[in-house]
Amino acid sequence: MLLKKQVIFIWILLSVTLLILFIFDILLGSVQIPVKEVFKVIFTDQSDHPEYLTIIYRFRIPKALTALFAGFALSVSGLQMQTIFRNPLAGPYVLGISAGASLGVALLVMGISTFTVVSQIGVLGSWTIVMAAWLGSGLILFLILAISARVKDIMTILILGIMFGSATAAVVNILQYFSNESMLKVFIVWTMGSLGGVSLSQLKVLIPSVIIGLLITFMLIKILNAMLVGENYAKSMGLNIRLSRFLIFFSTSLLAGSITAFCGPIGFIGIAVPHIARIIFKTANHKTLLPGTMIIGGIVLLLSDIISQVPGHDKTLPINSITALVGIPIVIWIIIRNQKLSSVS
Amino acid sequence: MQSQDNILKIMNLEIGYPSKKGLNNILFKDINLSGNSGELIALVGKNGIGKSTLLRNITGLQQSIKGEIHFFDKSKEKFSRTEFARMVSFVSTEIVNISNLSVFDLVSLGRFPHTNWFGKLQSDDIVKSTRALEMVGMNDFARKNINEISDGERQRVMIARTLAQDTRIIVLDEPTAFLDLPNKYEIVHLLNKLSKQENKTVIFSTHDLNIAIQEADKIWLMLDDKINEGAPEDLILDETFNKIFEKSNLNFDKVKGDFRMHRKHAEKIGLIGDGIYYNWTKKALERLNFSVDKGNESIQYVKIETGNNSCRWKLTELENKYEFDSIYELSLYLKVQTKF
Repeated sequence: MLLKKQVIFIWILLSVTLLILFIFDILLGSVQIPVKEVFKVIFTDQSDHPEYLTIIYRFRIPKALTALFAGFALSVSGLQMQTIFRNPLAGPYVLGISAGASLGVALLVMGISTFTVVSQIGVLGSWTIVMAAWLGSGLILFLILAISARVKDIMTILILGIMFGSATAAVVNILQYFSNESMLKVFIVWTMGSLGGVSLSQLKVLIPSVIIGLLITFMLIKILNAMLVGENYAKSMGLNIRLSRFLIFFSTSLLAGSITAFCGPIGFIGIAVPHIARIIFKTANHKTLLPGTMIIGGIVLLLSDIISQVPGHDKTLPINSITALVGIPIVIWIIIRNQKLSSVS
Repeated sequence: MQSQDNILKIMNLEIGYPSKKGLNNILFKDINLSGNSGELIALVGKNGIGKSTLLRNITGLQQSIKGEIHFFDKSKEKFSRTEFARMVSFVSTEIVNISNLSVFDLVSLGRFPHTNWFGKLQSDDIVKSTRALEMVGMNDFARKNINEISDGERQRVMIARTLAQDTRIIVLDEPTAFLDLPNKYEIVHLLNKLSKQENKTVIFSTHDLNIAIQEADKIWLMLDDKINEGAPEDLILDETFNKIFEKSNLNFDKVKGDFRMHRKHAEKIGLIGDGIYYNWTKKALERLNFSVDKGNESIQYVKIETGNNSCRWKLTELENKYEFDSIYELSLYLKVQTKF
């Protein structure tokens, strides 16, 4: 257990880091804009170069906000899954949320091109892809909720979630096999994840969805703490298991499903970040762990986004590869350091 | 005269697992039991007879098939979830091992049915959690992590959590299962103390019959076809205790209050000596399947000669005499003899 002073110090340190990274993320991009100009645009809304205004307001700030909220959402839903399944390797996608989303997108992108004569990429606006992904993950959520109301053992739900995921992945594979090259590329690019594709109008949907998901999760702190000792103990202390499961699965799906719909599947953040938060705050109490995980999630995804822009280069790397390359060493380091990951969550 | 306050009354209970085809898998039926305040109750019976299932029925973790469980003369079903959690707390056999969870955080989880929706601990909750840790003698461990303490200490912390939950009834499923002998005694003694000091009804299942007999006020004894209750002494005197392991070679020694294996003795051996040396030598000889005959100097006998600080065992077999410095050496020799 840390002292109160130490915890406050950590909070200040993390908040400052988050702020610096957020600003740094806005400063960087494929077009070189002098630092002075960026601050001028942000604070005065004016610039001698009108294109700078457009770039910063329509691209860089939305992208930084997307990275921030995606980091919040994925890490918080990962924490919830690790707690409810009491499994350190659980993440936001164990329920099959991303598989469901990818099925939705695959059906839209490749299904249309395969089974109809019309193959127009232009028809598939970004909103259509978002809706398809949302519907796909919504379907999986519905299945999971229906099962969790009937199945007593939580491990059964975990295994069924993984099975759903594998089954949907198989269907997606079949679709990929039969689809034409151009559509296949649209789909593959979607699976690589992108923080830059979210427009301002889409942010107006994404941010409220994430905020609602986060609010629900923050109301579940007491329940999540009770879940730490297992559902039997939680029940013996008066917890309504069905309602709790419903709320946890619902908020997780809302958080992870929204991010996946708008940005594609982004891996490893949800698994790695809760572990980092546990190491930093040395607690399993969600009162500290939940906000801690959230803020560290924002930091890690902003950092990944900065790395993906390859400073000094005009190309952007797929975000999913970066989060994997950042996340995997962290997970390995945790395993070697702790030697007992089985009891981490 | 009867003075009962009927905190817990179980009537015609049938426990088991319901199946969809209507053929219920019944583990045990016709269970009639009671518990009063200030009572430590030990649930005893052989493996697989349904002890855990009975406790899970009492704590509401499992539905019973038939019958009634009443708390304070009111059916279990009439209590709300929170009301029930303020009345009955539970420690299961599951080992809680969570890294980064402090002892205090775990104990204060017991305040769950008393705190608001956010789980904010008021000063009263903190006082009660601290006092719970004091009662089990773990107040120095509050800031430690739950995975850094020993099994015995963890069991105390789990008991403290039930005390923080502030319930009149505490149910524990085999709280002494993983512990070493001193810890087994200490935990059951602690439960006894808590039942008296805090006027609680404490129910625990156990396989440590010796400890249960010494500490429990009442024993719920699960036999193959019925369940008996009574003070341990009552159950010893009316021979019920002997029925627990009817089918095995284990017998209950009424005088010593102890179980021992029923042995078929093959060979006779005489033993001369007295006091504590005699008793322990006799035990060793019986372990080697000898039927011990006190004072008999027949064909084969052992004589114990005690000196100031030493003791020697003299074995006489027909004409041959051997001397041994320890019971172990004696038994080594006898083992070789009996083999051939």
